Amino acid sequence: MSDLTILTKYLPLLIPIALLQFGLLVAALVDLMKRENTKGLPKWGWILVIVFVNLFGPIIYFIFGRDE
Amino acid sequence: MSFTTAFHKELLEQRRTRRFMIAIVVLVLFGMTSPLLAKMTPQIITMIPGGEAFSMLIPTPTINDAVAQYIKNITQFGVLLALVFGMGAVAVEKDKGTAAMTLSKPMTRWSFLLAKFAAMSVTFIIAVLVAAIACYYYTFFLFGELAIGAWLVLNGLVTLYLLLYAAITLFYSTLTRTQYVAIGLSFGTLILLGILGSLPGIGANFPDALISNASLIMMGETPKNWSGLWVSLGLIFLSLAGAWLVFRKQEL
Repeated sequence: MSDLTILTKYLPLLIPIALLQFGLLVAALVDLMKRENTKGLPKWGWILVIVFVNLFGPIIYFIFGRDE
Repeated sequence: MSFTTAFHKELLEQRRTRRFMIAIVVLVLFGMTSPLLAKMTPQIITMIPGGEAFSMLIPTPTINDAVAQYIKNITQFGVLLALVFGMGAVAVEKDKGTAAMTLSKPMTRWSFLLAKFAAMSVTFIIAVLVAAIACYYYTFFLFGELAIGAWLVLNGLVTLYLLLYAAITLFYSTLTRTQYVAIGLSFGTLILLGILGSLPGIGANFPDALISNASLIMMGETPKNWSGLWVSLGLIFLSLAGAWLVFRKQEL
């Protein structure tokens, strides 16, 4: 089975996963933008973590980065 | 201020700190990806340069592989969340002085602690439930139907396993003023219980047996030894009682 056939076959199952991950990333970025202060890293540092650390970046930000 | 008020406050905090959302998203993602990964492992290996040679050696994935992958991911990441959510539950409130402020109102310290554990329990119960539904759907689509009764029991045991670590971390969070000490101690306990659980002979009496029993039930077998379940329930009770004994005389 070619890579394209596999991708097409499993696409309906992959879309919700991608959407959930993208939603989490957007939610983390929106939360970060609204915030004046962050913990642990400066804002630009958190942007890098959220965008480049796949799945765990936004979660790490939500747990450790938000200044309550 | 009664337990109910404290419980509502804790639920609100779970929502505002995004813990509720994080638990659901993380566990649901693993619920979805576990069967998918199990199904696609042979294809993934053939895509790796030189992996074609190994593809013949990999057996065709079965529904049991999907369940094993789910159990492994949900317990690993669920326990990690339980440790992270529990570490600051009391320690941070003591450090910032909010515990003293809350307890200046007519509320018992037992209610204060119990409300925290109850709110964490609600978060994990809902998160595991949603993850279980997602995994059921993906497994059904990729492999076929799971025995629904066994699936419910499996997820109940997994939830209990996560709540055990939430209770242990809450105890350590009460013991200390620093959340990182609390998570360190919890992690140490996790390793210790893991080692004890792997010992031949006595291993089946420790909490890890909950997970092995869950796997057996899913495979249609009936586990003979349920002492791991009673030990886990006992440890939850001891952790909460221990937290209360320490907290009731603690200077805030």
